[in-house]
Amino acid sequence: MGRSTGLAGPAGAVADTDPVEGTASCVGDPDPVDQVMDRFRDSDPVDEVVRRVRDALEEVFAAVAETGADTAALLSAASGPGREPVAADLAGLRPGLRARLAGHPLVSGVGFVAAPGLLADAPGWLEWWQRGPGGAVRPLLLDLDPEHSAYSDYTHWDWYTLPRETGRRAVAGPYVDYLCSDEYSLTLSAPVGLGGRFVGVAAADVYLRHFEAAVLPVLQRLPAPARLVNARGRVAASTDPDHLAGSLTRGPDFAAVLAGPPAEHRADGLRMLPCGGTPLVLVTAED
Amino acid sequence: MRPNGRPDDGGAAGTGAARRAVFAPVDTRARVDTVVRRIGDAIELGLLADGEQLPGETELAGQLGVSTVTLREALMALRQQGLVTTRRGRGGGSFVTLPDDPPEERLRARLADWSTEELRDLGDHWAAVSGAAALLAARRTQPGDLRPLTRTVEELAAAGDPATGSRLYGRFHVELAAAAQSARLTREEIALQTDLGALLCLVLDDPVHLGNVSDRHRAVISAVQDEADERARALAETCVRESVGRLIALRLGTPGRATEPRPEEDTHGQEHRARGPRGGRR
Repeated sequence: MGRSTGLAGPAGAVADTDPVEGTASCVGDPDPVDQVMDRFRDSDPVDEVVRRVRDALEEVFAAVAETGADTAALLSAASGPGREPVAADLAGLRPGLRARLAGHPLVSGVGFVAAPGLLADAPGWLEWWQRGPGGAVRPLLLDLDPEHSAYSDYTHWDWYTLPRETGRRAVAGPYVDYLCSDEYSLTLSAPVGLGGRFVGVAAADVYLRHFEAAVLPVLQRLPAPARLVNARGRVAASTDPDHLAGSLTRGPDFAAVLAGPPAEHRADGLRMLPCGGTPLVLVTAED
Repeated sequence: MRPNGRPDDGGAAGTGAARRAVFAPVDTRARVDTVVRRIGDAIELGLLADGEQLPGETELAGQLGVSTVTLREALMALRQQGLVTTRRGRGGGSFVTLPDDPPEERLRARLADWSTEELRDLGDHWAAVSGAAALLAARRTQPGDLRPLTRTVEELAAAGDPATGSRLYGRFHVELAAAAQSARLTREEIALQTDLGALLCLVLDDPVHLGNVSDRHRAVISAVQDEADERARALAETCVRESVGRLIALRLGTPGRATEPRPEEDTHGQEHRARGPRGGRR
């Protein structure tokens, strides 16, 4: 479900472990994945899956980090003694948002979602741009008046609450995004701060079909059917016809697998490997 | 299928005819009605305010995806209903006007635009979508998935006016389809709300029915939580059918009939009886 289904568990296990300031730097970091992979040297396809998943998500997180940095700079310039930012100030984000949609094929929507009360002239605001069916880039125009719309309060969605509560970047979903695109999606987000205060989230949407296209080729190289699941057991991509995307894998505590050391776990007849710093677990049946 | 479209044997000709029907233009009259309903509903729901100027004809036609001819016919019908006034000349255009009739009277007039057959079909469609959504949600739900649904039901139970209640009723079913992890079912629910939004105001006017609807939705949440997929489906269908049944009774001018579920809804056998006490307790 949109508002509550996240990769992160209720206790924040969903959130990525990298602090938001470090998002851009973690792309090439040497990390424990490589040590784990030493144990899998005879199974390079697993290595490839982990790398592909990490690279795909890091590419999107890079767009999120750029948006967050732009927003922080813009809000900082628009704030001062006797001056509060207004909605029109956020229009300055648009060239960057357009460039990110053009430059990141995985990203279908990107923008900044203001915390209620941030802007002097609007109770809430989404400066959100997305690619339409024909490829045209257009803004999301939501009715945020609670008198008119039952969907005006966006502060319950995982992509908003997770970064706000943990102070870290997060991956929400897969979930049906009926607020922005009506598509089955992953939303990657990170908190934006102004003078140490949470002022909203920068975020980017990835349609699940695009994520699948990015990871399926490497999943198909594995010797057995496999799936990627989030901290709550929701399948995000799969080559196992019995466990397709959107289904639940019940039983194992995937949040604990993600919180634990980056090593293979076995439980309930499943082999589970955290996907290097991302909140996804690679799951295959035990031999 | 023959690429040149030339009819050959009887079977292929049949296929060709069916294809021609598929690609025939939608009945223009139906489109006018659709536009009239949509704009009329928006006015009734307060999405368009009294005195508000509608966008220009070309822009509005483009937004609604209809031709300007169709739009003009729709505006004419709306003028006849007193919901739109058109002023000519400088500063002219089409403006929303709320007639002096009480809102319920106007909503009833809007209900009269629907035939009972159309309402029955709308109910069938809605029950099919929400029933399937409930079934799949029960199979695919994790703890935490149900928070939005629970929040919506509690807001619904406390809704101060029918328009708010109607929006929350719709949101529950959209959230249910999202819990089913189905983008298509979610889009269907969103599309159904376009038609249902104004109509549901009429049945939620009755605090007893509002209470029943809230209880039924709580029971759907319980069934989904228990991973009781068939029970969740039956409960969601019953809920939808009762509301549409009341609408049909209103349309027929016999609201008394709507207070009891119709007999055909009692055919779930043991499933239905088994859920009785649970539903009643809540």
